[in-house]
Amino acid sequence: MDAAAGVRNRKNKVASQKTDKKQQHGEKETEEHSDTLIKKSIEQLKHLDEKINRDSGDGESAPDTPPPETAPDDASTASTDSSTPKKDTSSPKPQKKSKMGASTAMAKAPPPPLELSLRLDGMSITLFLLSFVTRVWKLDNPKGIVFDELHYGKYAGLYMQNTFFFDSQPPLGKQLIALAAYLAGFDGSFKFDRIGTPYDPLVPVSAMRVVPAFFGSLLMPTIYNIMVELGLSHYAGALAAFLAIFDNAMLAQSRYILMEGILMFFGLFGLLCILKLRRFYHQPYSLPWFCCLIVGAISLGACVCVRYFGIFTLLLGVGIMARDFWEMVGDRKVTERQLFGHFLTRAAIFTIIPITIYISTFYVHLSLLYKAGPNDNIMTSAFQASLEGGLASIISNQPVTVVHGSQVTLRHTHGRTCWLHSHDALYPVKYQDGRGSSHQQQVTCYSYKDVNNWWIVKKPDIEELVVTEPQEPIKNGDIIQLVHGLTSRALNAHDVAAAVSPHNQEVAAYIDYNVSMPAQSDWRVELLNPEHTDGYWHAVESQVRLIHLNSSQALKFSGRQLPDWGFRQHEIVTDKIIDQEDTIWNVEEHRYTRSDDKKEREKEILRSEMIPMERKNLTFWSKLYELQYKMLFNNQENVAGHMYASEPLDWLTLKRGVAYWISANSNAQVHFIGNIVIWLSGTLALVSYAGLFIVYLLRRQRACYDLSEGAWNKFCTIGEVFGIGFAVHYFPYFLVDRTLFLHHYMPAYLFKLCLLAAMVEHGHDLLAGYLKAPRLAKIYLGGVGVWLASILSKTKTLEQVRCWVLGPQPSQVIEQEAVLRHETRLISHHLLV
Amino acid sequence: MAQDTPKKSKAGANKSSTSSSSHLNVELTIDKVFMKYRRSESGPVWWGVFLAVCALTAATRFYNVGEPKHVVWDETHFGKFGSWYINRTFFFDVHPPLGKMLIGAFGYMTGYDGTFPFVKPGDSYDGVHYLGMRVCCTTLGACLVPFAFIIVWQMTQSLPAATLASSLILFDVGLLTLTQYILLDPILLFFIMGSVLGAVMFHAQKHRPFHPVWWGWLVFTGFMLSGSVSTKFVGLFVVLYVGLHTIASLWELYGDLSNPLSLVGKHFLARAVGLILLPVILYCVYFYIHLTILCKSGNGDGFYSSAFQSQLEGNSLYNASMPFELAYGAEVTLKNARTGGGYLHSHIHLYPEGVGARQQQITTYSHKDFNNKWLVKKWNEEPGDWEDDDPTELVKNGDLIRLEHVPTGRNLHSHREPSPVTRRHHQITGYGENGEGDVNDVWRVEVVGGEEEEVVKTVIHKLRFVHYLVGCALMSHNKQLPKWGYEQMEVTCNPNVHDPNNLWNIEDNVFPNLPNSSFEIYAPNFLEKFLESHTVMFQGNSGLKPKEGEITSQPWQWPINFKGQWFSAIDGFKVYLLGNPIIWWGNLVVLAAFVFVYVYQAYRRQRGVSDDRQTKERRERTMSACGWLVLAWALHYLPFYAMGRILYFHHYFPALLFSSMLTGVIIDYLLESLPSLVPQYLASSVYPALTGLFYSTLIYSFYLFAPLAYGMHNLDPTFENSTVHQIRWLDSWEF
Repeated sequence: MDAAAGVRNRKNKVASQKTDKKQQHGEKETEEHSDTLIKKSIEQLKHLDEKINRDSGDGESAPDTPPPETAPDDASTASTDSSTPKKDTSSPKPQKKSKMGASTAMAKAPPPPLELSLRLDGMSITLFLLSFVTRVWKLDNPKGIVFDELHYGKYAGLYMQNTFFFDSQPPLGKQLIALAAYLAGFDGSFKFDRIGTPYDPLVPVSAMRVVPAFFGSLLMPTIYNIMVELGLSHYAGALAAFLAIFDNAMLAQSRYILMEGILMFFGLFGLLCILKLRRFYHQPYSLPWFCCLIVGAISLGACVCVRYFGIFTLLLGVGIMARDFWEMVGDRKVTERQLFGHFLTRAAIFTIIPITIYISTFYVHLSLLYKAGPNDNIMTSAFQASLEGGLASIISNQPVTVVHGSQVTLRHTHGRTCWLHSHDALYPVKYQDGRGSSHQQQVTCYSYKDVNNWWIVKKPDIEELVVTEPQEPIKNGDIIQLVHGLTSRALNAHDVAAAVSPHNQEVAAYIDYNVSMPAQSDWRVELLNPEHTDGYWHAVESQVRLIHLNSSQALKFSGRQLPDWGFRQHEIVTDKIIDQEDTIWNVEEHRYTRSDDKKEREKEILRSEMIPMERKNLTFWSKLYELQYKMLFNNQENVAGHMYASEPLDWLTLKRGVAYWISANSNAQVHFIGNIVIWLSGTLALVSYAGLFIVYLLRRQRACYDLSEGAWNKFCTIGEVFGIGFAVHYFPYFLVDRTLFLHHYMPAYLFKLCLLAAMVEHGHDLLAGYLKAPRLAKIYLGGVGVWLASILSKTKTLEQVRCWVLGPQPSQVIEQEAVLRHETRLISHHLLV
Repeated sequence: MAQDTPKKSKAGANKSSTSSSSHLNVELTIDKVFMKYRRSESGPVWWGVFLAVCALTAATRFYNVGEPKHVVWDETHFGKFGSWYINRTFFFDVHPPLGKMLIGAFGYMTGYDGTFPFVKPGDSYDGVHYLGMRVCCTTLGACLVPFAFIIVWQMTQSLPAATLASSLILFDVGLLTLTQYILLDPILLFFIMGSVLGAVMFHAQKHRPFHPVWWGWLVFTGFMLSGSVSTKFVGLFVVLYVGLHTIASLWELYGDLSNPLSLVGKHFLARAVGLILLPVILYCVYFYIHLTILCKSGNGDGFYSSAFQSQLEGNSLYNASMPFELAYGAEVTLKNARTGGGYLHSHIHLYPEGVGARQQQITTYSHKDFNNKWLVKKWNEEPGDWEDDDPTELVKNGDLIRLEHVPTGRNLHSHREPSPVTRRHHQITGYGENGEGDVNDVWRVEVVGGEEEEVVKTVIHKLRFVHYLVGCALMSHNKQLPKWGYEQMEVTCNPNVHDPNNLWNIEDNVFPNLPNSSFEIYAPNFLEKFLESHTVMFQGNSGLKPKEGEITSQPWQWPINFKGQWFSAIDGFKVYLLGNPIIWWGNLVVLAAFVFVYVYQAYRRQRGVSDDRQTKERRERTMSACGWLVLAWALHYLPFYAMGRILYFHHYFPALLFSSMLTGVIIDYLLESLPSLVPQYLASSVYPALTGLFYSTLIYSFYLFAPLAYGMHNLDPTFENSTVHQIRWLDSWEF
């Protein structure tokens, strides 16, 4: 970067010498009021010169690009040529103080009150309509569950039913779809069980699918405007949007209930807003300036709320903004105070707004989903208790304070869900590695609810295993024993190496706690949050550590599994490192022992029954905290070796697609695969950009300036936005451990697509401008036309596969099959080439 | 112990020489010398300080170097590797060979005979010549300090900065501990620092390009680079660093329009030869030596292909005396033919519940083991005894056979159940009793590229075993089974018959009734061996994943010195690897300070604020030195975040070296800048006072924590006067 900056700097110096005279000339005119276009352009030049001149003062400062005052206005419609920029309020007013400048500008041309000016961007609208038509056409085909609709449809259904679910991605996208489903009157009763299941007529498939289709269509004008905003021609902008519209992968991704369309729209729209901000460089704190900043923050925040990977788009946006800010630092007309103000405003808007959006989506999420559902088990007891009919069913009318004689189940609070467990089996006398064990009854951590998870809390000095009158509540620091409910053996630990973690002590249930042995079965109760419960041990709420009295070690879930003899349940040990998460437990189910008779007691335990009840309240913040923790640190089961999984490297060449849906009774299928021509051209554009950049850089270092300063700056800006955008959306996947699919590539692909369009324009500029070969340029344009035609032809055939496959006539099906086969062959052929 | 700072010791020496003169005179002389030191002007002072630093280094490193007299931590591995080089026994390790080879060479030169088994940490070295190896490793480790001194001197031309930086490395307890034993780390650190030293010295020669000294440093750098890569693959980071350094200097040469392009080309070529070609050649040479020295069969054989093994003396394939052809009734081992494939293996454990049918597990296993033996049977008859006079029947291409696991008597079996890891393949189990199974035990043997009816041959034939009923092929890859499968590799039945992982070859073939023949002709050449070693190494490296439930060290814990590592936990001599917290935490503070200063300077520059020339020059030199050091630190630290492999605390030490040097440079810069910021009457005393404070803090902290490195005789917590509580500043420190 430094080297590049130096290069630009040098060029600036050269330029400044040439234009020094002009600058002096221009300064005299500063006070003059100028309206005409010519005068404006002179001023503009002068303004540029001022910047450049300042740079020649010391060799250090290196403004990368002049602020984009010269950027063409997007107000011009598709028919107008980009070379005639219309001037409106965004034209620069060279004043000593930019704030003043803004105000004088206002004073000069006061907007008539109540005037509404309506400008339509025909190109954007055309692109949107074209895209929307392709996306919604035959939207309800196929009438079956397509790929990840399985998940997102199911989540929408769960929203309808207010049932809690756990997903490791944030909820905004799912909420949008659920909203559409709600408006269409979906009741959520449909079971999304596997891909391909036909939809019930009651499921509003079209309504749900129209959400991604809508956002996916809005994406196209956004792309167009971003290109234009970066100083590229309207044709290049239209070309990029065109490529995106006619790419099969984009189409498939925004036709079904999937997140990518929404994700990409929010991301790119946020970037567009940030780029627009450059336009209002001289009118800071004006209304449009604030609009851009705030809408950008909202949009990028929403992007993160659709999928965590959106954080990279957000970072890219912040990066672009930081870069623009850095240029402002170089502008000495802006005082330090103003700089500080700018910094604060931007930082504040870009921290507060995304965080607010993020939290509010979760607020909606958690307030909507108040009923217990299928994957509650992941959450802690306290969380489950806050759900209606969840754990509340178990702990409903259970007593709160743990006393002598309480029957409890002890849950491992953090990490893996399991309960302290014992059963009628002993540790083997000798382990495989020759070590001996205590040969006492096994104590394990068991991941399922089981009658053997019940333990009775006992004070060492009271014999009867029944709740006494008056009750003996257990306080923080009390000494207790834990007696296993069904086998009546006490939890003990001793100086024997544990089965799988030999550096820890073994925990066992001792055969007969009545025999006078040295008390190894005494445990001290250490509450982690005694202040909530006045120091008493409460069920569910209290987090507790059990410290073995003799050895001062804590009861711990070791995370390892026992071998066959331990039924592959998890090992329980004591560990001398007390302060760790795996030593934290809490009482989940709890009731008082009523009968001292052993038989009666066992019967009672075996009869344990669940009754639904009202939910317990947990504050939003503690719920959010827990959910966040689980989402970010819970390693979900990896679907290793999925049939359609692919590697990041395969994406560049489109090595394989994903079969999204396969018809049960014909050969019809929806196959997610990109348009091979665009795909490979995009990769080519990426390589050629990198190559050209290096060539230009090498030439510039030897003082050969092939491109004009403006063209060079434009070329750099393209790389800064699209090249870096591609990189930040692509390379992180190399570090991801999860199973990856082709659709993860889509955001990166979008940037590649834009780069491709920009490179097409750059090629034309080179031919027409640098080589001065208008004829060659014409031929080049012809080539581009042929290339576009080939793209269209590819799109058409694949489109047939996707959309027309559902014809009921058998003959048509066969025809489709032929098309599909042909296409597959074509693709493999392309890959071979 | 280290009582004196270099500065003071020198001052003291001066004092004694001028003891006859008056008090005033003495003070003047000390002041003079001190000013010379501060302004880095005089040659003798430079040498004096440098030698003092070297002397202190030697004193701290070699003090008690022979203690403890037992195996410490990973000495159990690297000592063993050294023995194997001396005994010329082949082994497998995930690191390249140079470091271990050097350890072997050190041992050989100092009279170690390679007989000590190095079984586990804590084994006493009774009558073993281990000291030579330790001393050699420590010597390499001790070089770090003078290297740092010279590097910082060259980067900043400031004697105080060089002294500060080298003393931060000198007084770090962690580095002291890590470089005192028979480990790869002292060697690796030596080469890394050597590479940076070379690069810096080479850069300093830029005023006389293509001079012999210039060439000398270029070759030196190349040599050091090859050494760091050939010791551990993390050495690649320093290669990257030196590469960036070189590109930057070439870019400068190229941008100077007075240099013709041909000259730039020459510069480029010279560097390509010295920094790319030379290290690559040296790397291959080290491997050549490695493969030549290790010519006897050892415990690493099983990781390599049958052809590779046939080169190892004592291996069953060496001068093999085995039947060339496969007969029914032969006992064989089957090796997966892909590079790094294991042996088809079974053991008396069942697949757990929920994982296919509860039948006996079949895996591949890289070690040679009794459980790898399989008996070849006809699909419909049991074989006779070898003593029988039945005519020997040979197995031909396309025959139907069964394979019986010799120790357990179960047949190789497959059925339509999902495989445990690769769910879309079919499960392979061991089924039946004493060789009696069912029809799902039948396999068809196919010789790849073989004629019909061609007899199956040992080693050279690549075989495919196709399940007769299901039509899938026996396959293995390097996906590991979970804990219940002892993390051995999964074996499946692959519906895609033509997968390259489906190929197997027969390695051992026991059948007394057939004549034995030799396998000498299949010997691979050096290049093949070289490539195969690498495939196996990378596979081994990627297999070093943290096991389920195991706590691994996290990169964020390292710079904050969160948790150390026990080196020796034997009562009476405990050694605990832990950085000097003053230095480590100080490094972090300075790093933050650097970022702040850097941003501030960049801001000033962007705003166009100009300074006087001298200040600017000094600032620029410091900033560029710091920039390179921070880059080196980041290159040696940040990539660990992206690594999936198991990580250890000691991986941070290369980065620490750069971080410490950065601290030296920055502190010197701040100390020099401070006098101009304080009132006039304080200005002259601020510098010496702060320098004194710095060194005394450093030395006191070293004194406090030195017992961790030199053995905690008195630190048993049960002792009355134990100092362990005083210095256990964090609860996570385990001593």
